[in-house]
Amino acid sequence: MTRSLYAALITFISLLFPSITCQAEEIVPHLTVGTQEISLNAGYLLPVRLTDDHTTKQSGPAIMPSWTMVLTDPVGWRWIRGQLMLGAEIVYIQFQEPVLTHGVGFTPKIKWLFEGTDRLKPYIEFAGGPFYTDLGGQIPEESARFNFILTAGGGLSWFLTPQWSFNVGYRFHHISNAGTRYPNLGLNSSLPFGGFSFFF
Amino acid sequence: MNPTLTLRCLALACCGLILTTFGGCSRWIEMTSPPVDINEQVPQVIARDEQVPLILDRIQTSKNGSPQNSSSETEQRILGSLADIGLFSHLASANTVAETGGKTVRAKLQVDEAIDPHAGGAAWKGIVIGASMYILTPFLPLEYDYSAHLTLELERWDGVIKRYESQAAGTARYHLFGATPIMIDELKGHVTETCLTELARQIVKDTTFFSASSAPLFEHGIRTVSVKSRLPRTTMSASPAIPVFAPAPTEP
Repeated sequence: MTRSLYAALITFISLLFPSITCQAEEIVPHLTVGTQEISLNAGYLLPVRLTDDHTTKQSGPAIMPSWTMVLTDPVGWRWIRGQLMLGAEIVYIQFQEPVLTHGVGFTPKIKWLFEGTDRLKPYIEFAGGPFYTDLGGQIPEESARFNFILTAGGGLSWFLTPQWSFNVGYRFHHISNAGTRYPNLGLNSSLPFGGFSFFF
Repeated sequence: MNPTLTLRCLALACCGLILTTFGGCSRWIEMTSPPVDINEQVPQVIARDEQVPLILDRIQTSKNGSPQNSSSETEQRILGSLADIGLFSHLASANTVAETGGKTVRAKLQVDEAIDPHAGGAAWKGIVIGASMYILTPFLPLEYDYSAHLTLELERWDGVIKRYESQAAGTARYHLFGATPIMIDELKGHVTETCLTELARQIVKDTTFFSASSAPLFEHGIRTVSVKSRLPRTTMSASPAIPVFAPAPTEP
């Protein structure tokens, strides 16, 4: 059963990206200043309760369409060598716990794409911006619906073709209202995610 | 709420959005090298039977001092540029043509590129632009510098070598939303074209030097070439003075 599922997955990916099988030796992404990336990542939000006052176990799926652009040629030395990318992201979270609510935010984001190997490129990213959620006011940690979201994390991009990459990563999310209303303990979450990017 | 105030706010917001969208998409290229004076170009005439073929022996490329592989596109472009002069009967790459034994001019080209992407400035401006939610995009242009120094050595069939040099530089200035990889290609294209035009201008001045009757072909043409290991490359002189020298004839 598992073997047939695996075979089906390989067939699906081969059909989706036919050049994977025939151009395996030529997959070297050419990322120069001005190269743009559109990506769609999705993951599942898990609670991180940092203090005893944090009681809410928020969880639910998250979808993050984003756009970034390469700002620099590769700079830096040794393993830290990479390219700076700047962009923006929309983050949508459906909180399934503790109550079914939604949240949506817009965050400028900055990303450092390490040079890595030809096909495998690690990255770290930071983002922050306004975030609206109707979960605010229904939990002890957050009283306001208008909040801010801060994100920090990292991941790996595996280039399937010079333009397409498969991403996996982890992010830490912090949601709070910057002290505009009280209480404002803030919600902290872990977000493992996966997705695809298209470079052009 | 006062409807006039709401309308003003809306109009202001629209203006801001339009300014950010259009102002943030612009880009332009500034060439820092002086353009070639067309009046200086004196057309030369050469008879068809005086034309000799040119063979492009080698192209060496370096980027910020480090050696690079030369692309076939570069080779084609250089051959095309030399063909446009009309001085040579035909042009070919050493890879595609065998030694003919007749009168030929052999060419060696050195392309030294220097790139400054202003990475530090781009990083700081990027952070500021992102932190401002892209509102500051039209007010913080980014820059990318590119310069090229071309050295062309043309060796006549009798072993006399002439060296030509040209240099050009340019800067692409762009706002964040106007950046594309094409922009960098455009900049490199303009700079390279300026260099090739200048080289062509210098070669045209030496039309008589490359005409078939300018020198006899060695009758007992057993020519020798030096076989040696490569030496580390040193920085070339930026002097515009071009030495013209003739190596001692080789005894047959």
